[in-house]
Amino acid sequence: MSVVLEFDNLHYTFPGSDTPALCGASLRIEGGRRIALLGRNGAGKSTLFLHGNGILRPVAGQVRLNGMPLEYTRRGLLRVRRQVGLVFQNPDDQLFSASVLQDISFGPLNLGLSHDEVRRRVAEAADLCGVSDLLDRPTHALSGGQKTRVALAGVLAMEPDILLVDEATSGLDPWMRQQVFSIFDRLVERGATVALATHDLDAAQHWADTVVIMSEGRVIIAAPSAQIFGDPELRALAGPVGGR
Amino acid sequence: MRVIDRYAFGNALRQIDPAQKGGLALLAIILCLALDRPAVGILALIWMLALTTWWAGVPIRVFSRVLLMEGLFLGLSVVGIALSIGGETPATTVFAWRIGALWLSVAPESLTLATHVLTRSLGCVAALNFLILTTPLIDLIDLMRRIRLPEGLIDVMALTYRAIFVLLDSLERMATAQNARLGYATARTAMRSAALLASQLFLDAYRRSQRAQIALESRGFDGALRVLPLTYRRSPRVWQASVALTASLMLAGMVG
Repeated sequence: MSVVLEFDNLHYTFPGSDTPALCGASLRIEGGRRIALLGRNGAGKSTLFLHGNGILRPVAGQVRLNGMPLEYTRRGLLRVRRQVGLVFQNPDDQLFSASVLQDISFGPLNLGLSHDEVRRRVAEAADLCGVSDLLDRPTHALSGGQKTRVALAGVLAMEPDILLVDEATSGLDPWMRQQVFSIFDRLVERGATVALATHDLDAAQHWADTVVIMSEGRVIIAAPSAQIFGDPELRALAGPVGGR
Repeated sequence: MRVIDRYAFGNALRQIDPAQKGGLALLAIILCLALDRPAVGILALIWMLALTTWWAGVPIRVFSRVLLMEGLFLGLSVVGIALSIGGETPATTVFAWRIGALWLSVAPESLTLATHVLTRSLGCVAALNFLILTTPLIDLIDLMRRIRLPEGLIDVMALTYRAIFVLLDSLERMATAQNARLGYATARTAMRSAALLASQLFLDAYRRSQRAQIALESRGFDGALRVLPLTYRRSPRVWQASVALTASLMLAGMVG
């Protein structure tokens, strides 16, 4: 598999902060992978993802999409955001419209598609995420799990090749969690790449094929899931053994 | 507000084009203002009550509660029109009361004026109640987009409407957390807790707005909140109701 998204020695410090959020983070993401990004709070997982679709621009280092460095121009960013979708932890931050249908239509309309094409994509994304029957419901009447899936549909309607998911599965009940993972699986079957920042070691071991561990603004290891969970020393980097 | 919102989303007229429902309400308002007869206002009120309860299926209790609150405000304001206070003995009065050197009186013409204002306003607010109880704000915002009101204004309305519910959730969570630690046990701590809550809510809203900005940019936001127009059903019965409403109000205007 070819490398689709590459973070090359990224350095970033948030304005007004003394400590760098990223200091030399490098990662190569291959197409069609299921990736779990692990690391303690503050390790830089979210910051890394925000570089993935050009929301943040590294102070030093380079982000490359399909081998080409990101262009931080209006057109360049639109191109990146079409290919790299970002799903956030709290769906209430992402859902801006009180209408589920209108919220999902926002992304594809920004790509300059026709209304007919947008309607098709909204229907397809809603179907994939199991929210077709919620389209004419108001956003504020949805449950947490429904909001998460609507937020996911809003990103999937843009048909990204790479999906970066920032802890969106935390706080879901086991049934809802399973449903969200099966959506990820279907995306991967279609050839997309899914990277999930998570504290869920179970998902890292059983869902992901690649595990990436970050610590203090760096990627300390990226290896096949089986290798990490098969080696006690590497396993210890993922989290406390016997922890839940 | 949540009650109104629930019925707006769940009534029998939800799928009908907001332009039709808005048109009907606007028609009633124009007729109430133009004809300016107490009978017209009362009749419009009855019409709107009937349409909202029978046709849209909103409980009469909800409609009357909303109307009662508006009616209280209106009632209080027309008292000021009916009553006059003067130093001299009033000439023709329906009612006069002497307090020291002052006369509190109600003149026939001011009473008529007050009745006109009250009935006219009641007819108009009933028409608005019909609209807000049968049409969710997202449909009204969609309608404004269709009639090409400025986009900036519409975007602000849409975001505000959504943000109200998000902030209400935050508010409830924070208040519960304070309550759990006896934050509202005495009047003194309640004051302090409420002040803390207000400042925290402001900070929360600010942080949320930054995260929302990032989430919007991630989906290609470039300054305009483009969304698909919603699709509705046009009902011939709304046209029939409009004709019947106009005819009956005109008739009441001539007779009453």
